[in-house]
Amino acid sequence: MLDYILLEVRRTLRDRSFVVFGTGMPVLMYVLMTNIGMGPDGAPMEWKIASMVGMAAYGALGPAIGVGTGVAEDKQLGWLRQLRITPLSPIRVVVARGLTSTVTVLPALAAVLLAGALVNGVRMPGWQWVALAAVLWLGTAPFTLLGLGNGYRLSSQSTGLVNTGCMLLLSVIGGLWFPAELFPGWLRSLSSWTPGNRFAELGRSVTEGGAPGLATVAVLAAWLALFGGYAVYAYRRAARTV
Amino acid sequence: MATSRATHLTNGSPTGLPQGLPHNAAQGTTQGTTQGRPQTAGPAGATRSAGGAAAVEFAGVTRSYGAVRAVRGLDLKIAAGETVALLGRNGAGKSTTLNMLLGLLPPSSGTVRLFGGEPEAAVRAGRVGAMLQDGRPIPRVTVRELVAFVAATYPRPMDVDEALELAGLGEFGGRRVDRLSGGQAQRVRCAVALAGNPELLVLDEPTVALDVEARRAFWRSMRAYARRGNTIVFSTHYLEEADDHADRILVIDGGRVVADGSGEAIKRGTGGSLVSFDLAGAPTETLRALPGVSAVEIRSDRAQLRTADSDATVLALAELGLIRGLEVAPADLEDAFLALTGAPSSLSASPSSPSSPSSPKETA
Repeated sequence: MLDYILLEVRRTLRDRSFVVFGTGMPVLMYVLMTNIGMGPDGAPMEWKIASMVGMAAYGALGPAIGVGTGVAEDKQLGWLRQLRITPLSPIRVVVARGLTSTVTVLPALAAVLLAGALVNGVRMPGWQWVALAAVLWLGTAPFTLLGLGNGYRLSSQSTGLVNTGCMLLLSVIGGLWFPAELFPGWLRSLSSWTPGNRFAELGRSVTEGGAPGLATVAVLAAWLALFGGYAVYAYRRAARTV
Repeated sequence: MATSRATHLTNGSPTGLPQGLPHNAAQGTTQGTTQGRPQTAGPAGATRSAGGAAAVEFAGVTRSYGAVRAVRGLDLKIAAGETVALLGRNGAGKSTTLNMLLGLLPPSSGTVRLFGGEPEAAVRAGRVGAMLQDGRPIPRVTVRELVAFVAATYPRPMDVDEALELAGLGEFGGRRVDRLSGGQAQRVRCAVALAGNPELLVLDEPTVALDVEARRAFWRSMRAYARRGNTIVFSTHYLEEADDHADRILVIDGGRVVADGSGEAIKRGTGGSLVSFDLAGAPTETLRALPGVSAVEIRSDRAQLRTADSDATVLALAELGLIRGLEVAPADLEDAFLALTGAPSSLSASPSSPSSPSSPKETA
């Protein structure tokens, strides 16, 4: 199984446009949003930190959901079928595929946090940096499952579109680009129920020096269960035809 | 090719396979064909076939897609060490059969067993390798990485270099799989199938994208692999390929086995020769009753008789005074195939046999 994870990680990181855009976009957006139109003194430090968390979350969300895009591609190429006639059990293939994202989310995550520290001068105690990276890393799990579900359920082309759509929608509604405080009231309350918002909330609570709230963990756990169920359902359906 | 034909003949003839006749075909013909069959291999074959169960066994297998019955009542048994061709037209049910064999597709009814157990169990145990028809290369991985990865999933894999060599990819190990030509990509699929050193190798139309040279090299490797005591099952719609490279041919048509035996046995079973002559208006009703004749075909004013005893047929024709533009030709597998499946239209003739005898006969 480890071999399969390594193979997939290698394949993902060799996709140059994936690495360049997947890492470059969130960093670029972070730098722009914290430095443009903010007056001579630049943005306040709170916004620099909040936006750093939001953009790191957005950067990690892409490759997490994107795992499913790769699955759909491999399904179309007949590779998943070929894997089914190796001794590798199908469930290990799925799990390994999911675990691939634990590596592929790292470049974007690290790049945004580095930009925060180096470009915007964000300063936090060492444990906060570590904890922030850790919660953002672990918090990608529901999105990986959503992407996998789409990958097994849909055709290669539609998976690409649907996954990109999900990523943008969850990022914007979740307040990863613009703070949810700017949203009208109804959208704000809706936003607090979305996984993207709670994902970033994990990180924000760490930067404020505290542990994530119970509500945040509960909402994320519910999404994890929902997307997990969806992934299992999609996989079972696909297994009949893959 | 000369050597291949020689091995084929010596392998095929002395086993005394019953002739696969069209009328008793679908069921029962496979019984007994595999039992007591001499192992083609040495010590490797002896250890590999230990346990005694047939490598492949289908019992009363059917498979429907909605209202379409792709496979209707398949019974077959393939012994360890055999090289068997599934020969049939497009849509005859070959791929469906192979997918069921591999456990990728559950049969609608009946049972499929590999080495005496479920196909899934044999696959999990690493006893099966396959080259699927619709597989395409996955991007961003080198040939060696891919083959090494697949090999590592098997308990007793082949050395990666050996697999690459056998597949004819010796110098392409470092190339990216998605930057190969069609023929090279096909060889990668072959290497992937071989990587695990499987006892049962399943090849679904393995030479479709290969040129003549590559095709020859491919079969050379496959024969070497079979000699180690491994079982090979391949599907093809090239008659010559089945005849040259299989110990035994299963002719599949309309989702069932219509003939089973060596190429020689199948040719004999459907009538050994074709006798044709100009009718010049003579009546045709009595021709079917001539000695040896199994089929009669009239085309414009020319009759073609399929006969098991061309001498007797010709003598009888002489008595009737019908010797006009007489021609006697040995039936080949293509004739046998057409007689068995009764539909000439969609069968591909082998591209590497320009000397296919069907055209001169038809125009004669």
